[in-house]
Amino acid sequence: MSIFEYNGSAVVAMVGKNCYAIGSDRRLGVQLQTVATDFQRISKIHDKLFIGLSGLATDSQTLYQRLVFRHKLYQLREERDMKPETFASLVSALLYEKRFGPYFCQPVIAGLGDEDKPFICTMDSIGAKELAKDFVVAGTASESLYGACESMFKPDMEPEELFETISQALLSSVDRDCLSGWGGHVYLVTPTEVKERILKGRMD
Amino acid sequence: MTKQHANWSPYDNNGGSCVAIAGADYCVIAADTRLSTGYNILTRDYSKISQLAEKSVMASSGFQADVKALQKQLSARHLIYQHQHNKQMSCPAMAQLLSNTLYYKRFFPYYAFNVLGGLDNEGKGCVFTYDAVGSYERVGYSSQGSGSTLIMPFLDNQLKSPSPLLLPAQDAVTPLSEAEAIDLVKTVFASATERDIYTGDKLEVVTLNASGIHREYMDLRRD
Repeated sequence: MSIFEYNGSAVVAMVGKNCYAIGSDRRLGVQLQTVATDFQRISKIHDKLFIGLSGLATDSQTLYQRLVFRHKLYQLREERDMKPETFASLVSALLYEKRFGPYFCQPVIAGLGDEDKPFICTMDSIGAKELAKDFVVAGTASESLYGACESMFKPDMEPEELFETISQALLSSVDRDCLSGWGGHVYLVTPTEVKERILKGRMD
Repeated sequence: MTKQHANWSPYDNNGGSCVAIAGADYCVIAADTRLSTGYNILTRDYSKISQLAEKSVMASSGFQADVKALQKQLSARHLIYQHQHNKQMSCPAMAQLLSNTLYYKRFFPYYAFNVLGGLDNEGKGCVFTYDAVGSYERVGYSSQGSGSTLIMPFLDNQLKSPSPLLLPAQDAVTPLSEAEAIDLVKTVFASATERDIYTGDKLEVVTLNASGIHREYMDLRRD
């Protein structure tokens, strides 16, 4: 079994009209055994920028610490927050540094850029960026998520509809994946506010 | 003479996706018509659906040579059944026969992933879903094949079926009308075709109801 599937994960981000949502499951397992059901895979970089790290949990946390460190140095030097595009390049560069002994993570980055234009992006474990206009998925439930998102996504959704769509897609996907699930965690980001919601799901 | 490498396999995977949905008085069975091997498309117009009896239709993905052999075996057994009983086999009976036929080759299996759809003795829609060695279950809807991981979560979302562990047993038929079910099948295939390279070209939808059998086609992406 792949090291990417050791802990199990599901991460998804979707774009709406001047907003975006990013969601993940809450399970931390060791192969088939569930260890925690309140695990955080999505972290805030600043008010309008979030990153979800699927894959090996220990590498996700290490990578997150390095990213926060680099972002704080940037803030001190530039006296402003990083743009999502810049941050994606930073993540990509940090991953490629470890080209021949990678972090076993597939990141999902979502943020609001200039004039609150939503930006979402995913990359592989060595930093190859994939910029998408609609939605991105990652983790052990990625195939299920592709199917669900492909059927449910509509362009230019309002925030509340976007939240409903990403939640439905996330919950129905993780129910068909043994390694992810045990509830969901969704951030809905609009230019004015961030809504964080915990989803109840099947606990099996 | 040097020793040859023993790397030949009796199996291939020709891909493809199958879906079946059971309703109160109908059953919809659908599959795409793409036949692939590796990154190659062998043909864009190959039917994965076969009518085994008047009210039993099977859609199969996997290794189409094995599927062909399986279909031949089943139709031979059905012919014998007709001679012995002077009637068509019912769908639940065909489901059991299919299971036995698959298990008979337990240690050199047919590489075939089947969904069997039809109408039972009361005229209700029924769907049976299988693994390659014959475990099967009667369900309200199912998908099999290369795109099943993409299709199944969306069907769950739209058609949530009652748990098979509930007592007393709940009916597994879907609440949709026949037209809605056909629409849903077209939607899921259009979505699966976007992301699964083994699904595409054309969709074949077979509908069974009291008035008989009906076939229709829809074009899918060809890339």
